[in-house]
Amino acid sequence: MAEIHAKLLRGYQAQEKGFVERRFPLRFEPENPTIRELYSQSKGLRWNPEEDIPWSRLAPAAYASEVREAARLTWSRRAWGTYPGMGESTALLIRFCLESGATGMDAKLFLSFRPAEEAKHLETCYLFATRLGGYEPDPGHETVARLSNHPFAQMALDPDLPLEAFVAALGCLDDQLDLNLCVSHLQQSRDEVARHALRLIAGDKQRHVIFAWTLLGARLPHLAAERRPAVATAVRDMLERVILAGYRNTWLLPPGARDRLLAAEAITAQHGLGASPVEQEKRVLRATVAQVRERLAALDVALPIVTHPELGRL
Amino acid sequence: MTTYLAEDRYPLRLAPAMTDVWELWQRAKTLDWDPQTDIPWEQLQPECYAEEQILAARLYWSRRTWGEYGAISESPALLLRFCLENRHPDLRFFFTMRTQEEGRHAEASWLMADRLGGYFPQPQNPPTAGAVGTHGVRRMAFDPETSLEGIFASLVCAAEEILIDVFKATVHRATNPAVRRLMELILRDEVRHIAFGWQCLDAWAPSFTPETIRNIEQAVTTMIENVEFRGYRNLWLAIEGGDATPLEIDADRVSCEAGLGGSTPEDEMRVFPQFLAKIRARMAPWGVTLPLFDHPRLGKI
Repeated sequence: MAEIHAKLLRGYQAQEKGFVERRFPLRFEPENPTIRELYSQSKGLRWNPEEDIPWSRLAPAAYASEVREAARLTWSRRAWGTYPGMGESTALLIRFCLESGATGMDAKLFLSFRPAEEAKHLETCYLFATRLGGYEPDPGHETVARLSNHPFAQMALDPDLPLEAFVAALGCLDDQLDLNLCVSHLQQSRDEVARHALRLIAGDKQRHVIFAWTLLGARLPHLAAERRPAVATAVRDMLERVILAGYRNTWLLPPGARDRLLAAEAITAQHGLGASPVEQEKRVLRATVAQVRERLAALDVALPIVTHPELGRL
Repeated sequence: MTTYLAEDRYPLRLAPAMTDVWELWQRAKTLDWDPQTDIPWEQLQPECYAEEQILAARLYWSRRTWGEYGAISESPALLLRFCLENRHPDLRFFFTMRTQEEGRHAEASWLMADRLGGYFPQPQNPPTAGAVGTHGVRRMAFDPETSLEGIFASLVCAAEEILIDVFKATVHRATNPAVRRLMELILRDEVRHIAFGWQCLDAWAPSFTPETIRNIEQAVTTMIENVEFRGYRNLWLAIEGGDATPLEIDADRVSCEAGLGGSTPEDEMRVFPQFLAKIRARMAPWGVTLPLFDHPRLGKI
């Protein structure tokens, strides 16, 4: 085993030992009807990227080669941003089991479905890129690789970080932005297959976001006062260090690192193949931050104003 | 985010690399089912059974629920390991479905106990919780000293294999249509889970080192002796069964004889040795030699 892998595993091992799991009495009856309903919807609204997207109607030959090239790069980049969801949601499931022991079954059942939903989104991105000429497995630029690779699974299993802080940062902010961008891409798309794929993905993401807000609303009132500041800190860190560094929006990546991807997304958006113009993404980002700040305020969590050299106060 | 260690994620390969495992992922997506709507619950009719039969079935399906829960709380750790070790995409994709399916089995088993008259949220005597509470896979998955091959062999090719062998041997005796349908649906999923384990190990076998082989032997032996023989799946098999009540120990037999799922000691006496002979033969070409196991009721097997 490579030393880096052993080191990562030892990290998980140490984190796991920070919890004392109490498995019994193991309760299964619904405690939170909204989350149980979301689980129920996950079961009923399942779909299969291979069968439920009308791939036969995708006509790559109808697009010029530079458009195909741009779109395959855009969907490859989307796959890099989708992949972490498999590990993050799995880690959150494990955290729930370690922490809540015998209770919280609604969330556990919901989270047992989520990694497969993320995997389906990933497969969709891969299939789309493949059909347009080929999926690219490497960002090809060290900065892009670094800024799209954050150890969120470790964050989920960190006993020193309240679960609420993880859910607020990843679920209420990052998932919300991801959903809003997905909806924006859907509205901007004209290609039938791109629209179909984005609509299916957005349907799942919608549940993920509702899950995060519902869970946060249910748990925050019980969080010890001294652990509460960690929630706002985690959300601010996520916004400042991750999102504004270009995790979701290519135009926020540093100049030089972003050029190829940004040009590809512009062409993809222009031809309606599943992306949004930069100006539109800026509006979505601003609206999302405002929306998240308002909702957090309703839960007595104050997300401070952050500043960005290009966007100003946010 | 700086206090954590980043994975070496790229290149992020997504193209199928193990055709058989990819096929299992594809099949799993088409064979989804919902415990709430795909079981003929109206045919359960608990009122048609004697009180002791219902109690036994409730105990049996409650313990099944606890066992299935282990696959939600423990084995998903394997997916984290696949990700950080950059294992083939097929493994990662398939395992997400496996977690989903195990969640479904837990919900279905709970529903069965509940609709038979009530789910038991814990063993009758607290110490039994130690025997039925965990198979230790999460610990193994996060332990760099335990090879992935050892975990696969013990969890999939031993623990899940015996579970399914017993299911296969007894499903025809589940005369209750709701119980039978549920057993068939669980069986259908579990067959894929087991196929996944064997396919992976067969593919990796040419690269096994003597250390890997020792690791597999040790992990399977531990699973048999410390999990199966402690009564994780069936309390009748517990060598030190002092903590479980006679009612709990006998529940599988009474439930099985009523046609409500479960197995009898005679089933275990027959199936367990066959299972061991099968996995011994199956693992032998890899160079794996499993020891003989001593069990007070099964004998030297």
